[in-house]
Amino acid sequence: MRLRTLLVRQWRNRPGRALAAAASVAVAVGAVVATWAAADASRAGYRRLTETIAGVPSLDITARDGGRFDAMLVPRVVDVPGVRAVVPLFYRPTLLRIGDNRLREMAVGVDAAALAAAGLLALEAGEPCREDDEVVLDATLAKGLGVGVGDEVLFFARRRIARMRITGLATGDSLRWFAEGATVVVDIQALEAMSLSTAQVDRIRIALAGDADRSQVMAAVAGRLPPRLVADVPVGRASMADDVLHSANLGLDFVTALTLAMAWFIVGNAMLMNVAERRRGLSLVRLLGATGRQVRRFVTLEAALLGGVGATVGAVVGLAAAGPISAGISRALQTPATGVAVHPLLVPMAIVMGVGLAVAAAWWPAWEATSLDLLEGLASAPPAAPPATTRKLLVAGGLLTLVAAISEALMYVEVWPPRASVVSGIALLLAFVTVTPFLIVPLVRFLGRFIPDRWRVEGRLAIDQIVRQPIRTALTAGVLVVAVSNGIGLGHAIRDSVEDVLAWYGRMLKADWVLTQAGALSVSREERSADSRRLETLVRGLDGVADVEGIGVATGRVAGTVCVVIARDMPDDRPLPLEPVGMSPDEVRAALARGEAVAGTVLAQRAGVKAGDEVTVEVFGRATPVKIAALVVDYTSGGASLQLRRDAARRIFGMEAADVLLVTAQPGRAAGLREPLEANAREYSMLLRSFSELRRGIDVIVNGVVSSLWSILGLGFVVGSLGVANTVTMSVLEKKRSLGLLRAIGMRRGQVVRMVVLESIMLGIASGIIGLVAGLTTALFIQLASQPLLGHPLKFHVRLDIIAVNLLAAVVVTALAAWLPARRAVRLDLLESISAE
Amino acid sequence: MSILRTEALEKTFSGAGAEAAVAAVRGVDLAVEGGEFVAVTGSSGSGKSTLLHMLGGITRPTAGRVLLEGIDLAMLDDDALAAVRRRRIGFVFQRYNLLPELSLLENVALPLVLDGVGHARSDAAAREALEAVDMAHRAGHRPDELSGGEQQRGAVARALVTGPAIVLADEPTGALDSTNSARVVELLQRLVTERRQTVILVTHDPAVAAAAARVVRMCDGRIESDSTSGATAR
Repeated sequence: MRLRTLLVRQWRNRPGRALAAAASVAVAVGAVVATWAAADASRAGYRRLTETIAGVPSLDITARDGGRFDAMLVPRVVDVPGVRAVVPLFYRPTLLRIGDNRLREMAVGVDAAALAAAGLLALEAGEPCREDDEVVLDATLAKGLGVGVGDEVLFFARRRIARMRITGLATGDSLRWFAEGATVVVDIQALEAMSLSTAQVDRIRIALAGDADRSQVMAAVAGRLPPRLVADVPVGRASMADDVLHSANLGLDFVTALTLAMAWFIVGNAMLMNVAERRRGLSLVRLLGATGRQVRRFVTLEAALLGGVGATVGAVVGLAAAGPISAGISRALQTPATGVAVHPLLVPMAIVMGVGLAVAAAWWPAWEATSLDLLEGLASAPPAAPPATTRKLLVAGGLLTLVAAISEALMYVEVWPPRASVVSGIALLLAFVTVTPFLIVPLVRFLGRFIPDRWRVEGRLAIDQIVRQPIRTALTAGVLVVAVSNGIGLGHAIRDSVEDVLAWYGRMLKADWVLTQAGALSVSREERSADSRRLETLVRGLDGVADVEGIGVATGRVAGTVCVVIARDMPDDRPLPLEPVGMSPDEVRAALARGEAVAGTVLAQRAGVKAGDEVTVEVFGRATPVKIAALVVDYTSGGASLQLRRDAARRIFGMEAADVLLVTAQPGRAAGLREPLEANAREYSMLLRSFSELRRGIDVIVNGVVSSLWSILGLGFVVGSLGVANTVTMSVLEKKRSLGLLRAIGMRRGQVVRMVVLESIMLGIASGIIGLVAGLTTALFIQLASQPLLGHPLKFHVRLDIIAVNLLAAVVVTALAAWLPARRAVRLDLLESISAE
Repeated sequence: MSILRTEALEKTFSGAGAEAAVAAVRGVDLAVEGGEFVAVTGSSGSGKSTLLHMLGGITRPTAGRVLLEGIDLAMLDDDALAAVRRRRIGFVFQRYNLLPELSLLENVALPLVLDGVGHARSDAAAREALEAVDMAHRAGHRPDELSGGEQQRGAVARALVTGPAIVLADEPTGALDSTNSARVVELLQRLVTERRQTVILVTHDPAVAAAAARVVRMCDGRIESDSTSGATAR
């Protein structure tokens, strides 16, 4: 016989204990794999969502003064990191004759085959146009006209009338990305030739890679352009979505890290119990002459084997669970499910992690078991935690708090990136769990006062069980503390963040209809200004229109930092669409009237600008000093925006044209404005969208992101529940003898069940209370992280509904987790339980 | 030369404060010769079990020395002490302390296994030890399939398997009925007479103590009397 035999015999003798220990590793590894895969699915979903709502993230290269430019002026930018594709665009209003229908449509010239190959042009039917006499139509337009692939259209160009064949029908979503307002796609060289404009383009659209930082790519591209050209964010595409997703990604990082922490507690607790339960056996082996090293090797070998089995099962279960979870997240994000894309190293790494976690978790109890006095080890009662251990825990708690505070401070002053808040949050949470042994005992004793008199005996015994093993109790509580803290902390952060974005959106877009500049810029800035004035006049004159507010958008630089310059009417009789930081709206309105500007908080941070500064602002190649009246909370272009009144922008920069018109209808007349507005939009190459359509797009993003984060948080709670259930099961197994003895001396089955369930519920409530404090602190930490991330602090609100749901969940989880093992414990044979060693 | 000797051995258990400290063994000098059968008796709390634990290297003395075959146990580190327990000391406890997962043969072979002895040799030695206590026929049984007396005889076999210098038995008959108790005592006597095994036995039972050639009576942590009865031939 070898020591390995003893191990196998122990497993065979007490399969429940070995299975529970392996199951804990399986739960932990499964949780990590599932969370990881779900987080990846969320990130991919976010990318697809942004592409669906706002098109592929992109930049435009345009002429600084408007109008077309020679494509040869554009240097090579395809090698700039973060650039996915470079697409020259040539627009041309044209007349089409399809059957008996004559239509005035916008045609766009592109390299359709290359676009389709890059996945940027999606066709519902047919193939991209390649030849001079081929055309791709918007699928909706084609359906409306009753034509399809293979049919012919007459194309009235400047030089000739071309007979062209429809080769494909493009989806509206993909067309919208590169050709807002265009419904006809023609090969760029063919369209240029027909328009007598060789090598001229209206704009060059640059598709960004999913993980690219728009600002960085914009700066790199801008650095290569000649003075005549400028790189900017496509008009009407505020990168608000990017910023919501930026925060959400931070949330995903946080949840993933917390799942790892939870995995550690689950495995740590299981291994601690697994070793502690065999305290007497291990002490006996030591007494018979085993060295400490032999015992530790024995325990860690067992942990490695159980960890290996558990981790393999966990990885498989985690992968299996990742599929439905990812599909659920895709549904929440309203994006097509693409299956689980798992990194090839995820499973092997998860297995290695599981084994490592199990071995590391077993090391400490193994060390304790071999340091224990032999007589204490052989005694029936488990020994109390030595004072040195409790001291160490306090010191560890203090150190972790210090790490959290330093990391948060460094992040706040922007020495460390916002992602450092994940480190702070985890360190803080671990600090809370570390001091749990000291908090849990008084908390449980306090809770004991509320146990009804008729359950006094069971309650007292339950409290004794908790108090006797504070460290083990703390590890069980740790799982719940993490789950509750996660739910409360991130729940608050998500709600605060979403409310901030929605409040901004509500302020910024108060209108029934929104007209935005479409893709064609085939006219000079002067011509556009004239068009814009005419359109504004026309819209104002429409019957049923109460108010029209114009917004001009241009790319500029403030103190050398690229930003979006927004010129807006901001009439005095309407609420100020801005949220100033540290200044009243009336003061800001007065300053704007004097020709001063307000800067978005992110721009202020990047450019080192503060309220009261006079900065050089460069727009359309004209550099002018402008006074910054105040900073405002803004998500336009990620908060890198400078806003001023339109009359001031006209005077200072010559910004005349309105790229966006916000149209407010008279009460009850909004619907009736659709037709006349559509006619004007078509005439002036504008896109018409109702506020509800725009709001729906934002809601899809916000709801999707919130749902996906809640799904992953929910997954964390399920994992926590499994961990707690496993721990309680092991705890009942361990107490088989004591429970048997209690029944032998007259305790009724119901009393035993109540005792076990009460113990678990008290643990749940106490953990919930600690988790509540930890969660609110985490929420505050995340709120502080919003300062460097968004440039302004999010308003923090205590949300009783989130707190109540999390605390209730903790109690329900612990009650359910205890119910089954308790029922099992009372069904055990009395003699068997008493004789159990 | 004595096989086991103690010099001014003391053990004090510290409590929460100085007043709570308990002196369990106070200045015990004891010498045991090879092949001697010594019974340590005394009332409950007299310090006899604590003395035995110090003799076996299970607990370290607060003061004084324990010399086993001339080696000062207090000078050994944990690993060296474990090796001494494994090779030179055999233990028998009141509660048998057999591992429930292992068969009787495997329990008996365990000290050899811990010492790295190969499978065949450890099994053979265990079988031989079981034969010595008339338990070879139960070698394949688990502890829960054996009676208390059989388990205790198995525990004696485990104590003998490494050929120890000394066997320390702590109330080995405490959990047994009179018949089984007599069989275990007889077995210990036989070890001394037939194999010249040194045995130190702690008991509060005068009848069991009477089986030993020498009886050391303890009271309040000190040796009250040390007498040789001649019950077992040296």
